[in-house]
Amino acid sequence: MKKLHILGILVIALAIGVIFVSLKNTSTYADFTEAIANPDKEFHVVGKLDKKQPLVYDPKVNADEFLFTLIDNKGISKQVVLHKSKPQDFEKSEQIVLIGKMHGAEFHANDILMKCPSKYNEGAAQVSQK
Amino acid sequence: MNEIKYIGERLWAGHLGNAFVVLSFVTALLSFFCFYLSFKNKDFIRLARLSFNLHGFSVLGIAGTLFFMLFNHFFEYQYVWQHSNTSMDMKYILSCFWEGQEGSFLLWTFWNIVLGWILKKQLKDGEWEAPVMTIFALVQVFLASMLLGVYILDYKLGSNPFLLLKEHAEFSNLPFVLAAKYESTARGLNPLLMNYWMTIHPPTLFLGFSSTLVPFAFAIAALWNKQYNKWQTVALPWTYFGILILGIGILMGGAWAYEALSFGGFWAWDPVENSSLVPWLVLVAAGHTMLINKNKGGSLFTTHLLAVGSFLLVLYSTFMTRSGVLGNASVHAFTDLGMTGQLVMYVLTFVFISVALLIHNPLFKMSYVVGSLLMLAFGMIYGYKRNILMVWVSASAIITGISYFKYFPKEKDEEELFSREFWMFLGSLVLLLASLIITYFTSIPVLNKLFNTEYAPPKVPVYNTWITPFAILLMLLIGGGLFLKFKKTNAKQFLKRIAYPFIAALIFGSACTVPLYFINNNKINWDTISYALLFVFALFSIFANGDYCINILKGNIRKSGAAIAHIGFSLVLLGALISTSKKTTISKNTATRKVSDLGEGFDDKVSILLTKGDTLPMGPYLVTYTGKVQKGIDVHFKVDYLKINKDNKPEYDFTLEPVIQKNQRMGNAPAPDTRHFFNRDIYTHVTATDLNIDTVTNKKAYSDAKNYVGHVGDTIFASNALVIIDSLRTNIGKEEYQKNDSLLEVTAVLRAVDAQSNSYKAYPKYIIKKNIVIPKDDELEKLGLKFVFWKINPDDGTIEITLSERLSNTKDFIVLEAYIFPYINLLWLGCIVMAIGTGIAIVERMRKLRVQSAKGE
Repeated sequence: MKKLHILGILVIALAIGVIFVSLKNTSTYADFTEAIANPDKEFHVVGKLDKKQPLVYDPKVNADEFLFTLIDNKGISKQVVLHKSKPQDFEKSEQIVLIGKMHGAEFHANDILMKCPSKYNEGAAQVSQK
Repeated sequence: MNEIKYIGERLWAGHLGNAFVVLSFVTALLSFFCFYLSFKNKDFIRLARLSFNLHGFSVLGIAGTLFFMLFNHFFEYQYVWQHSNTSMDMKYILSCFWEGQEGSFLLWTFWNIVLGWILKKQLKDGEWEAPVMTIFALVQVFLASMLLGVYILDYKLGSNPFLLLKEHAEFSNLPFVLAAKYESTARGLNPLLMNYWMTIHPPTLFLGFSSTLVPFAFAIAALWNKQYNKWQTVALPWTYFGILILGIGILMGGAWAYEALSFGGFWAWDPVENSSLVPWLVLVAAGHTMLINKNKGGSLFTTHLLAVGSFLLVLYSTFMTRSGVLGNASVHAFTDLGMTGQLVMYVLTFVFISVALLIHNPLFKMSYVVGSLLMLAFGMIYGYKRNILMVWVSASAIITGISYFKYFPKEKDEEELFSREFWMFLGSLVLLLASLIITYFTSIPVLNKLFNTEYAPPKVPVYNTWITPFAILLMLLIGGGLFLKFKKTNAKQFLKRIAYPFIAALIFGSACTVPLYFINNNKINWDTISYALLFVFALFSIFANGDYCINILKGNIRKSGAAIAHIGFSLVLLGALISTSKKTTISKNTATRKVSDLGEGFDDKVSILLTKGDTLPMGPYLVTYTGKVQKGIDVHFKVDYLKINKDNKPEYDFTLEPVIQKNQRMGNAPAPDTRHFFNRDIYTHVTATDLNIDTVTNKKAYSDAKNYVGHVGDTIFASNALVIIDSLRTNIGKEEYQKNDSLLEVTAVLRAVDAQSNSYKAYPKYIIKKNIVIPKDDELEKLGLKFVFWKINPDDGTIEITLSERLSNTKDFIVLEAYIFPYINLLWLGCIVMAIGTGIAIVERMRKLRVQSAKGE
């Protein structure tokens, strides 16, 4: 067997390995029901801001803590603790993706992605605040 | 209904533009057929050249017309209206041109024309002219179709930049369009894009994309005329030109992100960034296997695979960034123009052509072609597109494998372990593997669509962890590669030769990496070990290539292009490694709540609150937020940095002004400000503030009212107090009210508790008389809070109260994130060195080519 063939086999093995290993650790899009069922696993939860509930951001107490309530796509709402500063134009967001996990009764997020409506409804929305 | 009369429209411009659009499509098609026919019959070549020239001129015509329209404010046209306006600076007119999808396709087409013309001249009357230009023309057919904007049955083909605003599906019904008020409503260029980067980054990047077409066209042409090893000499300078330009384009994007956008770094592994990096990596691999082909023979299949792959990956990245498939996953993807189907077809067609040309057996080839077309027809008519696509892709992959074994010329003898070609091949393989992994991660949104899964795209640390081992291998191969000769090298001599730079790198590297990664609270884990290894091997590569330049080439600049480029690339990796792995947050948050218990990703406490006038310690500095200034739509936040001097007193050092742009289109967009030192950068941006706080004007003014919905017992959070809805009192019962038609008065008893635990009470009233609500507000003078009780929701028993606060309640503040990026200048230095090295190599290749052709004649 030629060296190149051995290399080829190694490459294929590695590729399959990467797919399996990475999928095992990859977080998935989910709703709160699933996040509650697996409290230690990280999920991407998609939903909308519950505008009836208060937004609490007091940088004097903690500039990296922002509390609000999210309604997921199935209509379940949960208190969210975002461990970051309050994103710009948060109130205007149309859709929110939270990255984090359930801990107790709250969903703790370490990152957030928002879709904001743009003026004149230009095509799809823009994503801001990476 | 009255017919609207539009007066003074300059319809001729649109007609002219459209004439060019149609002409460019027709001539591209004609040129494709003629070049194709001229492969067998030379009589067609003149018509082919003529139609290609005509196509080129009509593309220039499209661009010229569009530019003229932008320059003269023809706002009745959608593209002009959407991407420019009269109030903006005319120096951004070029940026307007390529801000939209249509314009950027046009830019791409334009560069293809420029390259096509040069190439056509270079190849004139040679054996490569017909096949290479056929591929060029075919790509132009597809690109030209992207601007057609016509409907064929239900399919929209392309998106036309010469559409009138009133004809545009999305805007035609807007009131100001119906009233023909164009100029005052024109959208203009997104203010976030109004900088010089937007002027230079897209044309560079698109020139890079265009130049991947050259090796692609040659590789396909070679599959077609089965001259697998004759095109490399001509294509080499072009390939390295592509490597140079695309590389610069990508790094410009990184520099832009770092300077002006708040991604928090120069590289965020964003899908849009990745999808331009991957074609570059593959092109670099292709460039290196082409050198193997040329110098020693062999690795021919790999070269064809890589050269074709690089261009296909450009197409794939076009699909990824323009079809809307990325959705939530990217910050700066284009919006969907409804061309997803067309883009997919575009990618698949070229995959199809590549695979079909690999097959030598006519019957086999025919069955692949017919089978593919049948699958396409079936998918169009009956659906199941996803399943068909998967079957087709797998079949094409298998056929590619079979063709490799059956039809491709292969080397008889085995490669030597210690030979330059083997190390180059390994290096190309490593680049390809890294590209595959990045592509796989980036494609997760696409794979989700294909397999109905819900996987989320991986985060930045995942990419870093996966890519580092490949970078280490690459550094090892680059470091040793040049000391090896083609065919066979004496292993002992070679190892002896590279021992010096390696030992130097090991000593110097250990001295740096041990304190960097292993002492002072650093955990020893996979990441730190791989970072330390990359550090050492990057140094090895730099030392070894430097050694090669000085001691073997004796400083011969002409021949040292490769070594210099390698040094540059290693510097880029070293700079990226140090600045990313040792990026430190200096804006420490003093809050007590511990979040690291929550697990990975939760230990970041990155924000510091700066109230105007206060001075706080931040890293090695003391910082003071001194106030904000608005310049246009940009609000500048002035933050002074002080250093403790020898006398132990704070002394002013410098001021940084991070910005929040009040961007009408995207909302408030933060932009960083960075202080550059030779060995580190201080990078800061404002994440949160209240832009409404204005401490200078009327201090008695109240903020806008905020509405709260709640029950008795709920709490309202004011900036200086907690307000509890204590109880509700009514003067009369509901029945009595209905009977007597008299005044109903509901009083909300609100108890406000401030930070000092002082309690205050407010009594806003909700009064109804004859179904008319007359709320009576109440104010807490001391706290500066005003309440209006304005609604009762009988269904769920909630009440609604609005709260306004006196503006002087809140002091102006910013929440700041500040990082130190150490030695990021190595990265930029590396970029420049790499560009210089590649440039030298290109010039040298071209010189050799000239000498060769002079000898030939």
